[in-house]
Amino acid sequence: MRNYEITYIIHPDREEAAFKKLNEQVATWVKDGGGKIVKTDIWGKRKMAYEIRKQTEGNYVLLHATMEASAVAELERQLRLQESVMRFMIVSVEEDEKAAS
Amino acid sequence: MSDDSRDNEQRGRGRGGSRYYRRPRVDPFEADKAIKIDYKDVDLLKRFLSPEGKIRPRRQTGVNASNQRKLARAIKRARHIALLPYTDETLD
Repeated sequence: MRNYEITYIIHPDREEAAFKKLNEQVATWVKDGGGKIVKTDIWGKRKMAYEIRKQTEGNYVLLHATMEASAVAELERQLRLQESVMRFMIVSVEEDEKAAS
Repeated sequence: MSDDSRDNEQRGRGRGGSRYYRRPRVDPFEADKAIKIDYKDVDLLKRFLSPEGKIRPRRQTGVNASNQRKLARAIKRARHIALLPYTDETLD
């Protein structure tokens, strides 16, 4: 198991309910892959540095999760299929960084 | 200084010499170990970008090689999730 930070940006026009549903969906995918979400950090709507899909704002979510390395590819695939997710990034957190924070 | 001739040359070419003029300083990340290079820390990363959004060279910022690599990685990550611009085409 490794520690990951999963960031994704959801289309700002999605309603609150759809937004919540998607977050639950992502959580399910993490768990399905044998992973665990350590922390959920919803940044909310934030102005982006450049336009993505003609949008100037995005709804940011950051997850701290522990996952099996082999499960990451599947999570990426699922996120890619999700129309509302404008951008995502999964980054592994190194041990020394974790110890320091 | 032995570097003077080169600095003059660069100014002579009209590249705005002072941009490359700065003497290497102490690595800010070594000076304060508490600072962590993190792609989410936009305000920190911005200090290492030129006005047009390029990553500033080590000779200007004094960052050591190891930290410069970490910094570059963090900046590129931040760009990917639109926290930092790839170019200076700002939205506002």
